[in-house]
Amino acid sequence: MHRQNYSLARLSLILLLLLPLLLTGCKSDERILEKLGLVQTASYDLAENNRIKVTSCVPVIDPDSSARRELLSTVSDSIKEARIMFSRQTDLTVVSGQLRDALFGLKLAKAGLGDYIDTLLRDPSIALGVKVTIINGDAGRYINHLLEKEAAGNSIPNTTLYEFSRDYNDDGIDPVAPIVKDSGDKAVIDGIALFQEDRYRMKIPAQDGIFFGLFRDDLRQGEAALHLGEEDGRPVVVMFSSLLNSRKVKVHRLGPGRFKVELLANIQGSVLEYTGHHYLNKAGVRQQLERDIADVIMAKAKEMVSQMQQHNVDSLGIGIQIRNTLSYKEWNQMNWREVYPQVEIECKAKVTIKDYGKYM
Amino acid sequence: MEPDTQNIPTLRHILDEFDQCADLSHRRFPELSADIVYFPHTVDNNLLIQEILLPFDRLQADGLDKLFLQSQFVETRESKAVVVGILEGCVAVFHGEAVYLLDAYGPEGRSVQQSETETVIAGPHDAFVESAPTNLSLIRRRIKSSHLKIIRCEIGEISKTTVYILYIKDIANLKYVQDLQNRINRIETDAINDGGTLTQFIEDMPNSVFPQFLTTERPDVAVSKLAAGRIITIVDNSPTAISAPSSFFEFFSSPDDYYQRWALGTALRLLRFLALVITISFTAMYVSVTTFHYEMIPEALLRTLAESRNRVPFPPVYEALLMEIMIELLREAGARLPTKIGQTIGIVGGIVIGQAAVQAGLTSNVLIIAVASSAIASFVIPSYMMSASIRLIRFGIIILTGIWGNIGLVMGIALIVIHLSNLTSLGSSYLTPIAPMKTGDWKDVFIRAPFSKLSSRPSQSKTMNSIRQKNKK
Repeated sequence: MHRQNYSLARLSLILLLLLPLLLTGCKSDERILEKLGLVQTASYDLAENNRIKVTSCVPVIDPDSSARRELLSTVSDSIKEARIMFSRQTDLTVVSGQLRDALFGLKLAKAGLGDYIDTLLRDPSIALGVKVTIINGDAGRYINHLLEKEAAGNSIPNTTLYEFSRDYNDDGIDPVAPIVKDSGDKAVIDGIALFQEDRYRMKIPAQDGIFFGLFRDDLRQGEAALHLGEEDGRPVVVMFSSLLNSRKVKVHRLGPGRFKVELLANIQGSVLEYTGHHYLNKAGVRQQLERDIADVIMAKAKEMVSQMQQHNVDSLGIGIQIRNTLSYKEWNQMNWREVYPQVEIECKAKVTIKDYGKYM
Repeated sequence: MEPDTQNIPTLRHILDEFDQCADLSHRRFPELSADIVYFPHTVDNNLLIQEILLPFDRLQADGLDKLFLQSQFVETRESKAVVVGILEGCVAVFHGEAVYLLDAYGPEGRSVQQSETETVIAGPHDAFVESAPTNLSLIRRRIKSSHLKIIRCEIGEISKTTVYILYIKDIANLKYVQDLQNRINRIETDAINDGGTLTQFIEDMPNSVFPQFLTTERPDVAVSKLAAGRIITIVDNSPTAISAPSSFFEFFSSPDDYYQRWALGTALRLLRFLALVITISFTAMYVSVTTFHYEMIPEALLRTLAESRNRVPFPPVYEALLMEIMIELLREAGARLPTKIGQTIGIVGGIVIGQAAVQAGLTSNVLIIAVASSAIASFVIPSYMMSASIRLIRFGIIILTGIWGNIGLVMGIALIVIHLSNLTSLGSSYLTPIAPMKTGDWKDVFIRAPFSKLSSRPSQSKTMNSIRQKNKK
């Protein structure tokens, strides 16, 4: 009896093992590495008649070949259609699972990226960590330069596909992305592109990126060179490094549809360079310097915020902060795009110099 | 019917029984009217001289009766007993009508040497040999207790192999002892040559790939198992002792864990479980990633991996199976050949297979690394039996990943887990202390906690005396 049960169990186990063989089909889902064209960077531009020009960069994996990568380019109605057209151009199956960078031309960004972001998200083989970058110019032309030089400026954060779509779909915050332009032989960071919903509206120049970063989020690491006017005809520059920032937001409700928002940036860092003439080892001098730095930061931030309100882009996520103080109903009844330009936004900075160098 | 002549041992009858046994020795002492019959190669020569030849030389015929009163001479009245006695290394003395057996067993044997298959760096180096009495003495000298009980059984219709079941009274669970004894007594076979063979007769599920009883050739391991409440079986003419009941995780511990400091022992244990994961999944991961899941490859590795695959003419699964078989061939050749030639094989294999296969474009060098590291990892597992089983399973998993990619890998691992949880060892769960969950055991299974924390015996041995030590520091 026991024996019989045992052999029955074994028989059913064998059947169970054989059953999944039915699932294999014709090996159509096999993706053997060397037979794939692995798109690592893809750029999307607006072409005539609302079609898009897609350029993909595929590494050439033959060690004997002098070319390290191959560019495939086509004009099509959709991103995925372009991929099928690429497969016709090469002997490889073009796949998008190794995509690392998605570049969007400025024209396309002005028209709205929503549909394209949606396409990228829909494909399960595309990682959420794909970097979204806006190109100031024709994206397809700069693809090569960008590859040579990875986005360098650390004051400009990378924006991943996840972050972009999260901010795009969330209420009360608008997405941002780094914007890059070509300067002769290499691509340089141009600044931060600010979007309203999925449409590009304005940009913050690269040198001001750090001020934007301070008020958008907590920073773990950063660097800023601040100009504090002139002294004896020489510019006074403070290089503020190892930045640690914690942002706090206070929302005051002034009346129906009227808010006052205080953004507090608590900044700590070390002074790596100081071209002024005061001795930093005196506590009084340091405190004065802290106040000076804070003033510069606050002035920059104020200008930046008023620009953002003019363009009606809420890239700092002030809407989220206000939403958090309201009930769901109140927030829903309010038209945030109408309220936002009228919000009083005050940017405050508190600077602490942690250390100021070895000798002085 | 001649029951008398059949049963009463006579010299003639015994010599008839051993007719054509050229190695039998028969000596006559006409002046004493005595005869001795024995197998010289099973008898200790010194003992023979001291107990028989010297007294015979000194004594007259009438003094002989007094000599035979000494207790080492056992008078035997049954013919069959005499035959068995001679076979087991006794000297049969025929004097008149009476027959006496003198146990002078002491055959030539290998002396106690270092363990070959379970080497340690620190700790005792002696290993069991083929002689069961020597093996018993190696254990007895480590456990000086009258509580160490030894049951003697005999198996094999022709070989009459002696099997000893060792346990410590009041620590071992007698139900296990009884079960084991019954299983051994139920065996009906002609000959058993090794402990490894015996386990396959008494295991709960002999068809499984996994060994369900731990085998060891180290007396210190055997003693530690006894002290933990497990049962040791020693087979005569085999250096392999069997410990039962065993759990899957026991195969991943080495005596070195206890001889070194606990932090080291813990690190080594964890390393071995990592080795298990690497052995099972490394080559399989290579296959699944290069065949199906190109998305998983890190950017920095992509070019290297793609370039190394570029010239390979086969799909990854065939490539991987080819290399795995190569490694197994190398290993098997190395194991079967004498050590000196074995080294040559290692070098030839390492250079030819490793270097040339890549240059010829037959395999990718990333695969060589994967195959080599999973082979190395498999040798980290201290029990040779377990490591061999796991190496075999790996082939199944590679084939599964070749068909279904990561789904195949997960399916393979799931099947292994299902099978393992189905196994029992002497009726107790093979996956103890995971299933049933005994978190108290973990500190001596997955890690090796300081001795002050190892205060109780493993739950699997179901001992009635679970306190092992009371030192708090």
